[in-house]
Amino acid sequence: MLKERLTQLFTLYDPTIQTLISEVLMLEQAHISMKRPHLKEQIDQIISRLANKELDQVDKNSDGSRSLFG
Amino acid sequence: MKLERITLENFRQYFGRQRLDFAKDKQHRVTVIHGVNGAGKTSLFLAINWCLYGEGVSNVGELISKEAIKLASSGENVEMSVELSFTHDGERYLVKRSRHGTKMFDGSIQVNSADEFIVMRILWDGQAQTIKNPIGTINAILPSNIRSYFLFDGEKIDGFAKPEAAKEVKEAIYLVFKLETLDRARGHLETAASDYRKELKTATSGELRGLLDEDEKAREELKRKEDRKAEIGIELDVARRKVADIEQRLREIQNVRFLQQQRDRIEQDLKVRRAELEDVQNQIRDITTTSYFTLVQPVIGRALHLLDEKRERGEIPSNIRRQFVEDLIAEMRCICGRPFTDGSPEHLRLLRIIDNTLPGALEDEVLDISATLRTFNGRAHRQRDDLTIHMKRRAELVDLIKDLDAEADDIGRRLKDSPLEEVSRLELQRQSFLADIDRYNTDTGSLARDIDSLKERISQLEKRIGQARKNEKKEKLLGIKFDLAQRAADAIKDMYQTYADDMRLRIEAKTKEIFKLLIWKDSHFQDVRLSPDFDLEVIDRYGRPARPELSAGERQVLSLSFITAMSRISEEEAPLVMDTPFGRLSSQPRNNITKFLPDLADQLVLLVTDEELRDQARANLEPRIGREYRLQFDSKTSCTRIEEVR
Repeated sequence: MLKERLTQLFTLYDPTIQTLISEVLMLEQAHISMKRPHLKEQIDQIISRLANKELDQVDKNSDGSRSLFG
Repeated sequence: MKLERITLENFRQYFGRQRLDFAKDKQHRVTVIHGVNGAGKTSLFLAINWCLYGEGVSNVGELISKEAIKLASSGENVEMSVELSFTHDGERYLVKRSRHGTKMFDGSIQVNSADEFIVMRILWDGQAQTIKNPIGTINAILPSNIRSYFLFDGEKIDGFAKPEAAKEVKEAIYLVFKLETLDRARGHLETAASDYRKELKTATSGELRGLLDEDEKAREELKRKEDRKAEIGIELDVARRKVADIEQRLREIQNVRFLQQQRDRIEQDLKVRRAELEDVQNQIRDITTTSYFTLVQPVIGRALHLLDEKRERGEIPSNIRRQFVEDLIAEMRCICGRPFTDGSPEHLRLLRIIDNTLPGALEDEVLDISATLRTFNGRAHRQRDDLTIHMKRRAELVDLIKDLDAEADDIGRRLKDSPLEEVSRLELQRQSFLADIDRYNTDTGSLARDIDSLKERISQLEKRIGQARKNEKKEKLLGIKFDLAQRAADAIKDMYQTYADDMRLRIEAKTKEIFKLLIWKDSHFQDVRLSPDFDLEVIDRYGRPARPELSAGERQVLSLSFITAMSRISEEEAPLVMDTPFGRLSSQPRNNITKFLPDLADQLVLLVTDEELRDQARANLEPRIGREYRLQFDSKTSCTRIEEVR
């Protein structure tokens, strides 16, 4: 399936990035027939949810060994 | 998507309810639908498109069956619908689109509101679950903008092979291979990252660290000041003890004892007077802070004066209530108890008072205001008197304290000038310690003020630090959001070209493979190429581009090869529904295509005329046909009936 092939494209990336791309692609695909879909809020919701998870993880790893901005 | 069944009700020439099942097993995956020109092949093709997408069927006339409209009475409702069932990714779906209209008196149809569109998923237990976002679901299965590569008019597909078709080829690849989806996702993620970056720029970056530094410094400063204040407190106690010790020693020295005792009395007196002075000053402060009575007293006095004048002129009543005067008249008795007669001077005077009195409520108001003003006036007088007394006492006390200070100074001077060296030395030391005490007191006062100010500053800093902590968390989250959006956009950008090139090369190879299978002049054509600019080119045996010279049939084969190659490479589970696919082809290419086409699609639906599918072409398809129908057009009713052949 093309969907799986697209997913495989990003296997070398961070799992959160993979999830983000996968969810945004699904959203874009569902609106592909629209010329200019307004997806700003929905994409922000996806990013915010994943970012909050990352922030929780950073708070747990208080040793600060993990860099998110590297 | 694998089609299962279509049910039409009053759709164009399909009057009433008619059903058609599609072949879908691996071996028998071809559905053939025969019909003469005008029998309804294109209508059936339109029905599939309309049911799934509700669009792309413009300029084809009325969709509601004319026969159904004719048979309906005026004002009667006519329903038209198309139902389609299919499977996708192991799940079964039911789609229904319907349109309702009301027959008008002139025989036309008035369509009621918008079309109804529902998509249902059939659950494992056979129950149908309505999908909330039907358009999104269909787009996720087979997007409307790529449908034309799977559901297509055979006579029009040669467009991909035309010299000017690079744009269409590129668009087809972009849409089918989700390059468009990737492109849009990258664009939206980049926009999101840019928005987060802007927000981050305006965020209060580093504010918390600065505030914490400031707080630390303020607390250190506070500790220093408090420590210093405590040290001064100790030094103050020591100095006070020294003064007390000196004074005790002076009391013990015979010659100056009386002077010290006199100074003790003066000091005691000074203490009492200073306490009294402070008390008086507090009272003066209290009076002056509530002195508005005194300030408004002239106005109140003037108001009362005006009211009294009016009362004397009889314009407003005296402080006698109307009811009281009426009672006197009723009893015909004077206020002193003496009776009077009707028309007597007393009687007439009371009647005049009644005539001059104001109406009840207004009279009460005037009397109440007068009473209130008199109260204010009295209070203002008292305040002014009190203030005068306190000011006088204050002046007396100040003079008294001055005198006592002078007396104490005089004693100090006498002690300092004493011929007795010890006395002189002790007094000098005492005055030095007193100067120290004054300095300590001044320093303590200054430190106390600084400490209060620092405490206030720390309290404000604590509040700002609390807010900054909240902002910092928000900022941190914003930073992560920016990072995720930017990295995801970059990842798509990095992989995009690799993926696009890979897809292009795969399509090129597959198109070439299929073209070689389908084309009857395979030895004439050497290669099929898809350039990085998406130019679809055929190379002849001389190594020259041959596309401009292709015949209409050859262009159709090239296009068909390209479309089926996309279908194969995309691995999308989608049917190929072809309306009149072999109309332009002569027997040889038709034979070739029918031989290989069933293996190039998971499901093949052919809408054909009898002429398109006969002899060898028919024989080629025969073992792969799972369902076959004939569209019977009735010229008497202009309606088509679907007849099952196999």
